[in-house]
Amino acid sequence: MSTPDTMSEMEDRLRAALTARAEQVRPEHLAPLTPVVELRPRWQSPWVLIATAAVVLLVLGIVFQGVARDPRSDDVAPKPDERVELQLPADVGRDWDAGPESTPAKVDLDGDGTKETVDFLAEKTKNYDGRIRLQTTLSSTGKEAYGLMQVASTTIGMTAEGVIDADGDGDQELVVFDPDLDSTGGAPLVFDLRDGLLVQVVPEDPELLQRGDVQVPGSQTELYDRVRLHQYWISGGSLFSGRSEDSFARGGMDMVRPPAVVLESWEWRLGDDGVLRPEAAGCRELTFDVRPCGVDQSERVPDLGARVESFVGIGESAEVASGYPFSMRVEAGDPPVLVVEGPDGRTLRHELDVPDPLVATVQPESIFSDGESLVVTSASDPTLVQLLVQRDDRIVALEPVGEVPLENTDDNRTWLSETGSVVSAVADDDGSWQLWFWKMTSGNRAFALPGATVCFDDVDDPTSVRTC
Amino acid sequence: MGIGIEPSVDITELYAAHRLSLVRMAVLLVDDFASAEDVVQDAFTALARRPDAVKDPSKALAYLRASVVNTARSALRRRRTARAYSPPHDLSPPSPEDSAVLAEEHREVIEALHQLAPRQREVLVLRYWSNLSEAEIAQTLSISQGTVKSTASRALVALEKAMKSTTSSGKEER
Repeated sequence: MSTPDTMSEMEDRLRAALTARAEQVRPEHLAPLTPVVELRPRWQSPWVLIATAAVVLLVLGIVFQGVARDPRSDDVAPKPDERVELQLPADVGRDWDAGPESTPAKVDLDGDGTKETVDFLAEKTKNYDGRIRLQTTLSSTGKEAYGLMQVASTTIGMTAEGVIDADGDGDQELVVFDPDLDSTGGAPLVFDLRDGLLVQVVPEDPELLQRGDVQVPGSQTELYDRVRLHQYWISGGSLFSGRSEDSFARGGMDMVRPPAVVLESWEWRLGDDGVLRPEAAGCRELTFDVRPCGVDQSERVPDLGARVESFVGIGESAEVASGYPFSMRVEAGDPPVLVVEGPDGRTLRHELDVPDPLVATVQPESIFSDGESLVVTSASDPTLVQLLVQRDDRIVALEPVGEVPLENTDDNRTWLSETGSVVSAVADDDGSWQLWFWKMTSGNRAFALPGATVCFDDVDDPTSVRTC
Repeated sequence: MGIGIEPSVDITELYAAHRLSLVRMAVLLVDDFASAEDVVQDAFTALARRPDAVKDPSKALAYLRASVVNTARSALRRRRTARAYSPPHDLSPPSPEDSAVLAEEHREVIEALHQLAPRQREVLVLRYWSNLSEAEIAQTLSISQGTVKSTASRALVALEKAMKSTTSSGKEER
């Protein structure tokens, strides 16, 4: 029988095979519900017997009424049992080549004080994903040892992330990063020498041992979702991981996070059974690196920068030098006209529909940076805020959508920062302020991503932002 | 008037309505009928044990489906352990339906399917047999939709590879 030529054919064959296999189970094959005594031997705990008896009664027609809460069905469904078994690697890939971009790892696998060199031999596949054979010769015995790992891409050079001694037995385990190609980021693969083989040990809770931005279930909205930041690192011969205590809004390519993110962290210990188990390791802060908590509290809030105070009004002009450079002027008229001239020689004119317009001389680059972008307000009505961007040969006003209005009022302060961000701070009853960061989205619309809740020493001065 | 009485799950009805389809799904995951029946029985037992777990009847099938997938994975783990220490001929004899003829072209696919990682197999079964959406699969497996998409894509490639491998090794044997 031939293998399919296209993915579509593969899908069709799979569908047909699944249907055929499933339909081998006919209704008459299903056993009638049997008495408890005839159930399979593993159903022997009192609880299971009680539960099984309950099923018998229920099937006979007794209906249980639902009570209390209404949890998500997948939350309450039984989870797989906790036991984890290791799989021994198959002896395949002796003839695979070491990837030119891979770097052999140096690790003392057998604990004799001499580091073995582990080569990464990549399986050649059409889609560049597949298996990597780890191969070495043990310095203590001269025998070959090998392992196998499945990776998302065999073309990305394999390099050890480091070595650890997670079980404290004096030899080292090898840590390799598998860069998952989906949005989550990837996870470390840990190999331990067991019975002469490089066996991939497994984390008890893989969700706690990964790197990247992991979506908070149920957080997706039309404009953004929320993620928690995950990171892992090696320090002092131990493997650590952390997960952000807070979640952060993510919309398109943008994510709102402070310079320092507080992590709940774990140290991973390897048991005799080959299972990595997390032990609470306290608080860490994720910056560019990972550091102990409390080094600099100010980095737990975003750097909002100073408020832009420089505007041009009717009859005035300015040069915008930062970001996409252009010149602008506001010509008198009814309505007044904004005129911008870009480096491409185009002159664009836009009628301003706000009274006594004022145009900021700093470009809101966080909104749009591939052409002219501007913030407009009004000298006679400072609550007005308008975002303008260049779209081809015209300037358009973005339509604000989402959860907060684009306005500058006493309890919804909105300003352009010197760093090019348009920020709203919405007052809460307790004196704190919820930050929102404006972004552009499809359809010439703008929306705000929610940020941290902060306090200000002086709300008119964004540089006075602090934790509450 | 029904005041104070909230909709509840009628397990008898669920059992009658979905047992066959769930056993069929379980067979695709664990590939033997006895285990599949056990897996589904476990799922109903779990539901009976927590009758308040699913108050909305419309969510009961999602609960049972997630339960079957998770229990099937546990069953496979147990089996993997057993196989590590027992020769293949010690496995239980095939059930009557196992011995029914499955066309060669389908058998190849099913054998390849069972060479995949459990998560890959689950995604393929839920997508191509249960016809669930990516969102429903994500909810069933407690993973993101992005992971569903990437897992499905890789699983198809792995399935094709496994089939080629099986085909070529079969030829060598001959």
